[in-house]
Amino acid sequence: MTFFSKGITLKKKKTSLNLNLIESPLPKRVILPLQQYIGDPSEPVVTKGDKVKAGQLIATASKENSLPLYATISGTVEDITEHDNYKGTPTPCIIIEGDGTDTWEVPPKEEKKDISSLALSEITERIHAAGLITNQLVPVPLTTDLVPIDQPKAHLIDGKRITRKIDTLIITALDKEPSLGVNRYLAGIRNEELADGIAALKMITGAQYIRLVVDTLYPPYTQLKELVKADEEETTAITPLNGRRFPTGLAIPLIKAVLGREVPLPYGHPRDVGVALYDIDTAIAVGKAVSTQTPQVESLITVGGGAMPESGIVRVRIGTSIGDLIESLGGFSASPAKIITGGPMTGMAHYDLTIPITRETQGLFALTRNEIQLSGDYRQCINCGLCVKVCPVNLVPGVLSLYCAKDQFDMAETQGLFDCIECGCCDYVCPSRRPMVHLFRHAKHQLMEKTG
Amino acid sequence: MSPHLRGTHSIEWMMHTFIIGLIPPAVMALYLFGIQCLVIMALSMATAVIVEAAIQRLTNQQLTYKDCHAILTGLMLALILPPSVPWWIPVVGASVAIILGKLVFGGLGNYPFNPPLVAWVVLKLSWPERMSLFFAPHTHSQALTPLMAFKEDPSLFYSYDMIDLFLGNIPGPLGTVCGLAVLIGAVFILYRGVIRWHIPISFLFGVGLFAGILHAINPDVYPPAIFHLLSGGLLLGAFFIAPEPVTSPVTPKGMLLFGTLAGILTMIIRMWGAYPDGTFYAILIMNTATPLFNYLKPRKYGRLKRA
Repeated sequence: MTFFSKGITLKKKKTSLNLNLIESPLPKRVILPLQQYIGDPSEPVVTKGDKVKAGQLIATASKENSLPLYATISGTVEDITEHDNYKGTPTPCIIIEGDGTDTWEVPPKEEKKDISSLALSEITERIHAAGLITNQLVPVPLTTDLVPIDQPKAHLIDGKRITRKIDTLIITALDKEPSLGVNRYLAGIRNEELADGIAALKMITGAQYIRLVVDTLYPPYTQLKELVKADEEETTAITPLNGRRFPTGLAIPLIKAVLGREVPLPYGHPRDVGVALYDIDTAIAVGKAVSTQTPQVESLITVGGGAMPESGIVRVRIGTSIGDLIESLGGFSASPAKIITGGPMTGMAHYDLTIPITRETQGLFALTRNEIQLSGDYRQCINCGLCVKVCPVNLVPGVLSLYCAKDQFDMAETQGLFDCIECGCCDYVCPSRRPMVHLFRHAKHQLMEKTG
Repeated sequence: MSPHLRGTHSIEWMMHTFIIGLIPPAVMALYLFGIQCLVIMALSMATAVIVEAAIQRLTNQQLTYKDCHAILTGLMLALILPPSVPWWIPVVGASVAIILGKLVFGGLGNYPFNPPLVAWVVLKLSWPERMSLFFAPHTHSQALTPLMAFKEDPSLFYSYDMIDLFLGNIPGPLGTVCGLAVLIGAVFILYRGVIRWHIPISFLFGVGLFAGILHAINPDVYPPAIFHLLSGGLLLGAFFIAPEPVTSPVTPKGMLLFGTLAGILTMIIRMWGAYPDGTFYAILIMNTATPLFNYLKPRKYGRLKRA
């Protein structure tokens, strides 16, 4: 078992994970942002008042870094207008009023072919057409993130242009945070498309080795074991990691824990060390996209927290507003103090219940007052060094936070401010309860504004 | 703002851990030297808290007695005083520790020197004979500590049983005599994670290495390493005083160098200095260099190895 010594072990109480699948009812209304990733927004092809079916193309990918968008329920286009996305920034959205029938646009069904008989460009095309994103570092279109074997991307590292071939494909069943559980849930069940998806990703990236990362706390991963057995060339291996540790699930520490390779920081990407890293959720979506050519209209998210009526994995149509979802699960069971999309360690708090669940959303948490620590008074740094102990990217967060708090942003930059992956471990352990990540983000923002 | 979860760590938690860790040495002091130890400790802690609160009230600062740092300072000071001191020594000492050691620099987090050690040095320089008057355990008869005896006649160390040194059956300051009690407390604070192993272990390593080399050169004049490790304030200093968060380095490399150099300095003062025990002076001197040790940063993550 590989051990990653940096980071923190979250308390059992804080990571209690329920892996039941909950089917959420069909939403009456969905809000579909034209941009659910970092890139260029897609171009709407429907107008106000149009009738649409579920799975119908409603916006096309007009530019290189954009993705097509599909209606996720059947109904009428109510409006195309600006609405807040999960970051709180207004983005153009297509709002569909559902008719409750859930009639589907039947895609041109093709004879199911063996993946290996497809051309590389055909596979990439299908992945793009399904509108898949990956959220390992930042949410980007999967086709932007993938490095096809025939077109390696060069990167500027330490002033040198370096091109590395992808040699290892990591498929992780660990979620980004211990409180999230979608990938752990998917690792425990049987999925026809998983093998297809992994094969497709392997073909595109040209990776020789496959590493399957599993959580030691959720042992029944029979399908992954079968994959290892089925591989005759012995290029597939399972790496068990302790899923209660954080931030082992985040991309950069994960690659370090599995392969011992360090992604160059700042601005590094797994491909810089010859790794393609995707989670099981993405692999299954790729499998689906390639073999059946169905667009992604629903996603699995983890719900939890003391104020949430139920906890578990929810299958939800993309575009459902978080308020509607909580309502359909039974409404708040207690007074929530914070509503968070993403995980409680790296997620974002919201003040608006109408924001939609998008492709980026991995979890929805409603935490009560007892579960969170509101950032209140903080005290001076007492130089205890606990933050140095936990920092997964070898920074000295305490010193860095002092520079940021004193507006010495240039000094902070020379101390490695942009290496910070904002995992929040230093915040978690700080006895003086200093809002470290907040200070870092503020400094990064100021510096980026200055340089433009 | 993320993270939305917080750990259980707090300054109070940290100080409570240190205080609980100091309970075994304190209880051992009561057993060995009698009830006057309780008076010394109580006076020292009470003075520290009252002086701090009074000054913070007078200067319109926020009262910080709730974080227990003043109590810890008082207790730590009491544990490095001789059991023979009159009642006003801990009172003066605790006031000095809080005022000169802590508050003038801006309170917890800012002071460059360990406050109890500042007070200890002031007391030692002001009343040297009162600060070097020790009792044999369970009696009120005057006696020399092993290191003082060793300073007078190097061959005397053979008269000490190492078991006595470990269990505390020797004269010395309140909390430092019983190595076993200090180690029990040290295991607790290490387990709770308020200190890390780097400073104590490298401190002991520095002392052990230096003493071992000297002993190997001339066993008649230089005692074995175990004598140096168990005598004086070394164990208390290595586990409780040197790793004190505010005045010790934060980076692993810095901590290792800090501890090793402090250990070597301790031995130099013990062997060739004017004072019998160099532990506290060594820590104070190393405290001045703590900001420099913090420059020993961990390796930058993900730098490509240059060919």
